[in-house]
Amino acid sequence: MAIECLVLGAGQEVGKSCVVVTIGGKRIMFDCGMHMGYHDCNRYPDFARILAAAPETTDFTSAISCVIITHFHLDHIGALPYFTEVCGYHGPIYMTYPTKALAPLMLEDYRKVMVDQRGEEEQYSYEDILRCMKKVIPVDLKQTIQVNRDLVIRAYYAGHYLSKLKVLGAAMVYAKVGDAAMVYTGDYNMTPDRHLGAAQIERLKLDLLITESTYAKTIRDSKHAREREFLKAVHKCVSEGGKVLIPTFALGRAQELCILLDDYWERMNLKIPIYFSAGLTIQANMYYKMLIGWTSQKIKDSYTVQNPFDFKHVCHFERSFINDPGPCVLFATPGMISGGFSLEVFKRWATSDKNLVTLPGPGKPVQRARLQRASKSAGFPLYCVAGTIGHKLMSGKPTRIDIDKDTHVDVRCQIHQLSFSPHTDSKGIMDLTEFLSPNHVILVHGEKPQMAFLKDRIESELGMSCYYPANNETVSIPTTQNMKISATEKFITNCAALQARDSLQKSDLISSIHLSGVNEDERLAEGILLMEKSKAPKILCEDEFLKLLGTDRHSVQFEPLLPSRIEEAEAAIVDDLTSE
Amino acid sequence: MDGSLASSDPGPSFAKPPGSSGDSGPCASRSSGPGPEVEVRALVSMAGGLYPLARAEALRGLAAVVEKVGTSGGAVECCYGCAVELLRDEDQSIRLAAVRLIGLCAEKFAGREEVSGIGNGDQMDLIFLQLSSTARDMCMQVRIEAFNGLAKMQRVSEGVLLQSLSKKVIRTDTGSGSICKANKLPPKLIFPCAAGIFAHGIEDEFYQVRIAACKTLGALAKFSGQYAQKALDLLMDMMNDDTEAVRLQTLQTLFNMATYGYLSVQEKHMHMFLATLIDANAIVRNAARKILGLVNLPKLQMFRSALDGLITSLEKNPEEQDIYSILFSIGKNHGSFSANVAKHLAKEISTAPNGELILDKHRIQALLIVSISAPVSADKHKKLDIPSVIFSHAIPLLGRISSALGEDIIKDLSYLCHPSGMPFAEKGLMSGEGGRSEFWSVETMRGTHALIEKTRKETNCSDEVLIMGSMRLMLETVEETWAMRESCGIEEIRTILRTCKEEVKVFAIKSSGSTGAFLSFLCDYLDAIRCIVEIRQLIQLENSYAIGPTSLDILLEKLDTYVRRMKCCYTGLNRELEVQVLELVLLANLFRLSKFGVCSKLMLDKLHWIINQLDGLCADGSCEFSDFSNTVKQTFDANVIDGTLVVDICNFLKIFRLKPAKDFGMLNAASAVLQVLGNNSENPLPYICGLPVGVSFDISLSNISGHDRIWIRMNSGQSIQHAFLELSCFEGNDEVKSCSTVIPFYATPLACSFVLRVCLVIECPSGSICTHYEEHGGPRDSVVQLCDELNVYLVSTDTECKN
Repeated sequence: MAIECLVLGAGQEVGKSCVVVTIGGKRIMFDCGMHMGYHDCNRYPDFARILAAAPETTDFTSAISCVIITHFHLDHIGALPYFTEVCGYHGPIYMTYPTKALAPLMLEDYRKVMVDQRGEEEQYSYEDILRCMKKVIPVDLKQTIQVNRDLVIRAYYAGHYLSKLKVLGAAMVYAKVGDAAMVYTGDYNMTPDRHLGAAQIERLKLDLLITESTYAKTIRDSKHAREREFLKAVHKCVSEGGKVLIPTFALGRAQELCILLDDYWERMNLKIPIYFSAGLTIQANMYYKMLIGWTSQKIKDSYTVQNPFDFKHVCHFERSFINDPGPCVLFATPGMISGGFSLEVFKRWATSDKNLVTLPGPGKPVQRARLQRASKSAGFPLYCVAGTIGHKLMSGKPTRIDIDKDTHVDVRCQIHQLSFSPHTDSKGIMDLTEFLSPNHVILVHGEKPQMAFLKDRIESELGMSCYYPANNETVSIPTTQNMKISATEKFITNCAALQARDSLQKSDLISSIHLSGVNEDERLAEGILLMEKSKAPKILCEDEFLKLLGTDRHSVQFEPLLPSRIEEAEAAIVDDLTSE
Repeated sequence: MDGSLASSDPGPSFAKPPGSSGDSGPCASRSSGPGPEVEVRALVSMAGGLYPLARAEALRGLAAVVEKVGTSGGAVECCYGCAVELLRDEDQSIRLAAVRLIGLCAEKFAGREEVSGIGNGDQMDLIFLQLSSTARDMCMQVRIEAFNGLAKMQRVSEGVLLQSLSKKVIRTDTGSGSICKANKLPPKLIFPCAAGIFAHGIEDEFYQVRIAACKTLGALAKFSGQYAQKALDLLMDMMNDDTEAVRLQTLQTLFNMATYGYLSVQEKHMHMFLATLIDANAIVRNAARKILGLVNLPKLQMFRSALDGLITSLEKNPEEQDIYSILFSIGKNHGSFSANVAKHLAKEISTAPNGELILDKHRIQALLIVSISAPVSADKHKKLDIPSVIFSHAIPLLGRISSALGEDIIKDLSYLCHPSGMPFAEKGLMSGEGGRSEFWSVETMRGTHALIEKTRKETNCSDEVLIMGSMRLMLETVEETWAMRESCGIEEIRTILRTCKEEVKVFAIKSSGSTGAFLSFLCDYLDAIRCIVEIRQLIQLENSYAIGPTSLDILLEKLDTYVRRMKCCYTGLNRELEVQVLELVLLANLFRLSKFGVCSKLMLDKLHWIINQLDGLCADGSCEFSDFSNTVKQTFDANVIDGTLVVDICNFLKIFRLKPAKDFGMLNAASAVLQVLGNNSENPLPYICGLPVGVSFDISLSNISGHDRIWIRMNSGQSIQHAFLELSCFEGNDEVKSCSTVIPFYATPLACSFVLRVCLVIECPSGSICTHYEEHGGPRDSVVQLCDELNVYLVSTDTECKN
């Protein structure tokens, strides 16, 4: 038996994750994403290849046992309504509760942008999304689901997040058919965060691990250092009487930074107000409160005592506060100062060199280009990045920003970039792989050169075979097969007796000082494996086997023969005697 | 733990398939039989069983065995091998037990290395790597256990340690030799498995893991300086942790590192330190300060920012007085920086409007403290020039602040505290004689300092030198006070002397040996002088109508006791001191003479003897025969013919000059410890009324020479009984002698119970002049108590008495 792995998307690239795995005749589709960089048919995975690979069927529903979505980013779920409603897949779809809750928002959001802003042809309608979501079966973490007679799946916590949207409910998926087992990671994160924990999975016996490899070569520095720099900058600014503007998106980053600042304020006994612009908290905290089980240990612990999202030092911001004197910290939407409230505040505050604007940005300039490239192809919409003020601020330190033809802002304020870490780094991938110790590893969701580098590391350091197939390529993985063998009674008694004798001997032999022999105690038993057609395989003793064959024992004996030269020896003796 | 496997009969149990259902309880106890080998064999075979619970239990059993067995023998290796195999088990409880077992084995290996002295660095590194590889386990307990195990590691090579801090894999080709050794390790345990375990550990989701990682970070710092430095970076980050327990642990770790001197703070860490100084939590602040008091700051900039941080902290929490002591120790640790601060402060003081400076300001107080700490700093090679104006400003401040400083610092500071505690010094300042006072204190300070400096090099014992120095200063004060006896009121002088004595007592608490003896001598000396001053006062107002014992009698008796103590209880008095003591004895006797108006033969003999002794001491010219002694001698010689001596004590007192010795040499104080074992008011000794009772004493004598005559004085109600102690019965040398002896008490009263007050006394030799004691069969001369009175409780066994 083998595992066939057909990579429909995210093979040697970032975007449209979609892997179809065939284990023991069961076909599972992991993720069904779309590529943000394409606007043609390349946007979606080439679903037709599934049918090509399954010649016995003609429709997707019978070809695929189930679809599993790891999390709600568009590059993991974007093509799902298309697949179900347009291509006509009606089988089961599994995803976690938070994913199911957040996915329709995400899909609808993107559909609107595509249709309303770009004026593209509608691929699927809002109704399609709703219909699609109706087919979804939500799963809980570590809940084992028997999809059909052979296939078992289980979701594990993956802790993945992106800077813009913390991904609640991201999961790794374990799938097992018979003895063949595999894990598909989706996007995950191995470093915990203030409000989302690190990925958690058990040690499983795996044949195959399919892991993302966005940061196949990068090793991120500690988040502590980033936090420290951030706090230092904010504290310095407010203690000198400046105002801090933190433009954020509704979900995720704001909560993360807010927990951080709230803690710090508490410790330092600071009395300077932290504001949340209206509307930011309402939507975001609702989800978090709803889905508390998906957050980090700290949040879970404190949730019973107090709501960790009710921040002590945070108050609501009124529009009239903008021109108030004195220091403050303000969280405002949208994240990239592309308009709305954060732009309004930015226009007022950017002109003073005492003030500070923090932006989510890559820590190192080297990464910037890559990230821009990645962001183009990855899950978050384009309108967030390019052309926004945030983008301009990040790509150098401008002194003057034109907002439109008539207005411009003289930027004198300080700018702090807070780098983010959306995926696990190379160390995390290695750690997870080492922990799971699968027999084979397939890398997806990464860039080719980096993947090649990681492949070498995995093969050399962990001694596993590793592949990174391109799109539409198939990798076949041999699996271990366990066989049930029955043993005869005589064989078992023989073995037991042998062992008893061995250990008795050993206990006599091993003196009280040397115990080194104990570990090499292998306890091998000899027997004959008999496999007959239409009969269960059986292990038996030599005697029984002879009886079965109806023959006698033939034994071949070897007699050691030493060539000797007697004559020479005799002559030598004679010589000796004569010489005396 | 008490399983079905009987250790005395291992054969059959081996025949059972290991781990079969009944075997889950391994036996690690019952070691009485064939020793640990059988147990180990049994448990190892079970650890390879099918069932996870049984495997885990077997490992726990092995851990119990390892804890029990000694470091020698193969059992530890065997357990270690078994644990390594199960380190990657699917079941987390097994991994947990395996990690724990490896940790224990590592301890045993380390212990063995210590015993044999043969280090096996490779093995230690290997174990370190194995434990490290579990530090990224998905199970929280395993991670905690891994860090706990790592904390116990001994002798880990630097390369491995550094790798554990950095997520990036350190290339083997650029590393040191120890890294290359990693090639020998099994393929799965190559170097990268230790990569960045601490970087991950301190970011862990569970605070328990973070605490464990933090402890381990600190514990390993002793192996490598480079590691310690990099670990500090991580620890600094942990001060921002959201869990208070972690922050406190971080500070604790830093404190430990600082205590052992592995902490070298750099500029980039200062921000974090300063932030913790103004933390909302008092415990955190306190811990941060303690660390700051220990660290060495390499740059003036950092030193100044640390000061600023402490000052801010002081302003925010003025109730936290220990900040002053931290400021002092920081200043002390950075002598040249403190001197720099002092210089700036002096400038500030001089430019302050009208010379006024608000000393209540925390900043000024703090800076003054730092400034005056400079002279006691260790930066001896540099000449630290502290402007004198600093000291003059510090003096009035210190009196108030000294209470906030700990005892240690008081010791250091005594040179300055001293004048500030002196009423006349303060008066001098207040009455506009600032110039004189300032001059005096600074000059003396410098003089003393130079002296301390000189002696320190010789004795290399800063405490004693400091004490001596301050005591000298004190004696000078006493001398000055004596000079003021005419002008000042008795109360004032008494206060000064009392203050001095208090200070001496403070030092005496912590001192022992020669310094202790010196201090206790000084106490007696000060007491004697106080008595003299008081007697002088009384004599001047003498009321001849008083009947019975008056306060003068009491004072005379007291003076006698002090003088006698000085004379008899110290050995190693140099000539100068001896002369001084004798002069005091002479004065005490003169007082008596003047009191009674008449003088007996005995008294005259005594005076004669003293004067002769003084004469003898000064005969060779090494000591000055003082005017006082001379006058007394002349008076004595002139009047002795008719057997009476008319003494004008006031005259003598005028001549008497107090001139404390400059050099004290090595003094030893005679002392004794008297004990009756097992006796107290609850457990009295039995006796029979009217019959002698033997009491068993444990006696130990210090610094008593063989010539001394020691008596034990027993006293019950009216009856006093002396018993002579034969010193030859004592064991030990001149320094400490001890013996246990039974001494009978004859005059037991007819009572149900009584308390016997016992004490050791030493006889004061006074030539052949005998006092009246002799008739009691006791000491010939006057005596001095060597110890406090001991109460011995006795109860009658007589039933009649009880009724």
